[in-house]
Amino acid sequence: MKSRYADAKNVFIDSVDIDDYIELDSSTFAYRQLEHSMDKPLKMILLFGKPGTGKSILLNRIHKKLKHQKEIYYFDTPAVSEKEFFHKLFKVLTKKNLPGNTEVNFSALVDFCKDLRGKREIIILLDEAQMYGAEMMEKIRLLSDSRAVKFVVSLHKTDDEDLIAKEHFQSRIWEVIELKNATKEDQTNYIHKKLLKKNLFEIANSVKEKHMKLIHLFTKGNYRECNKLLFTIFEICEYYDTNEPSKINYENLPQRIIEMAALKLGYIHV
Amino acid sequence: MYDIKPLEEEWKRYQRKKRRPWYILTAIAVLVIITLLAVLEYGKTDLLALFSKNSIEKTVSLPSSLPIEKSLTEEENQSNVPVSVPQANNTSVAVVANQNGSIEIVEELPIEEKSLQPKQPVVKEEPAVEEKPRKKMHLNIIETSSVSAYKDVAERFSQSHEIDDSLFLAKAYYRKGNYKKAEYWAFQTNKINENIEESWLIFAKSKVKQGKRNEAIRVLTAYAKRSKSQQAKHLLEKIKQGRL
Repeated sequence: MKSRYADAKNVFIDSVDIDDYIELDSSTFAYRQLEHSMDKPLKMILLFGKPGTGKSILLNRIHKKLKHQKEIYYFDTPAVSEKEFFHKLFKVLTKKNLPGNTEVNFSALVDFCKDLRGKREIIILLDEAQMYGAEMMEKIRLLSDSRAVKFVVSLHKTDDEDLIAKEHFQSRIWEVIELKNATKEDQTNYIHKKLLKKNLFEIANSVKEKHMKLIHLFTKGNYRECNKLLFTIFEICEYYDTNEPSKINYENLPQRIIEMAALKLGYIHV
Repeated sequence: MYDIKPLEEEWKRYQRKKRRPWYILTAIAVLVIITLLAVLEYGKTDLLALFSKNSIEKTVSLPSSLPIEKSLTEEENQSNVPVSVPQANNTSVAVVANQNGSIEIVEELPIEEKSLQPKQPVVKEEPAVEEKPRKKMHLNIIETSSVSAYKDVAERFSQSHEIDDSLFLAKAYYRKGNYKKAEYWAFQTNKINENIEESWLIFAKSKVKQGKRNEAIRVLTAYAKRSKSQQAKHLLEKIKQGRL
């Protein structure tokens, strides 16, 4: 028989699936902020934050919501090469495939964008932009100067990446949106809502306030880390439920299991 | 499914590590408590000793006599004068038993003389001193009034129970302002001879000087009633009027 914890475990598989998006105060605020910024006549918008703060899912969500209202494109994975990136861009801008054995002429592409000004307003969501090199970012900047293409650039927040942001975008970006780790309350809501979305009421109820405090302590409010920890917790629960049911309390998640999961993931050490 | 057993073992080790500071803290706390208790217990013994002295003082109708005797007994013991605490207890019991305002009780204690007599180990060291005429020494002491001289007289009194010595010490200490000792020596004098007026007056005056005015009045009233002494009555009036 399938354990009740198998479903709970799968709820926390880390993904950017928009169906898994959880409305939280902080995420709603970030969403509205981004939507509002995109309505402004901006060339570039920088979305940054530590890994696991919800940048990708925010871009995903905004893409899904606005794709029928605006000309908006989501580049989820960075192109391996410059050539590949401009191929993708060419297709987006011209709505045609690049003929075989041809390459994009960058100057011609900039001119093409300038011609589009006033006619079309294209928004390109660039996820994981820290993967693009400095030269490539400079070209993106030149394209954005045409005012026909608006870029929303998502960056990881590290010291190096802050430097990139300063060097390449500081003078050009008009709006900066920073995503932060969740507060304890937000994280509690996130976990409960995720479980309740899958009708796992009993399990959601077994995760008490003290557990949330501990989870927040281990994960520091990072959504990706939270997903990892919850997945491991329910994986252990699943094992006990199947093999040693006496070791699990269905009404109150044992703190021992949270600590075991934290040990396994390296949040704490012996 | 990964193997859960090693993870459980790791968690147990983690728990032990997590609790270690608490164990250490508990051990330290227990040690501190034990030390504190030991210190308190030691202090309590001292306090109890003090308390018992005070309680005796409260029950006696002539309260000053016992504590003074006791405290001085301790002092005398330090200076090798063998006056024992049980002796003081005997006194207090006798005094309580006859608590009716009469001072005659003070003199019903010749036992003390007996009890004091066996305790003369110090005398053995100075057999020559015993043979000396004490009056001479008395005069010398008056001239010198040194601390060692007082001790010598006190030592001699412990052996001879001469009222001249005790009265001398009572007067000398009263003059010096050491009213506690003055009272003690006056009391010693009264124990041997209850009719020495000067001793009673010093006894009463020393009590007043120590703030025990009511006791002084009670003692002096009893004495004046018994002896019909004009001086005692005069002093009583002075004490009552607060002119001393």
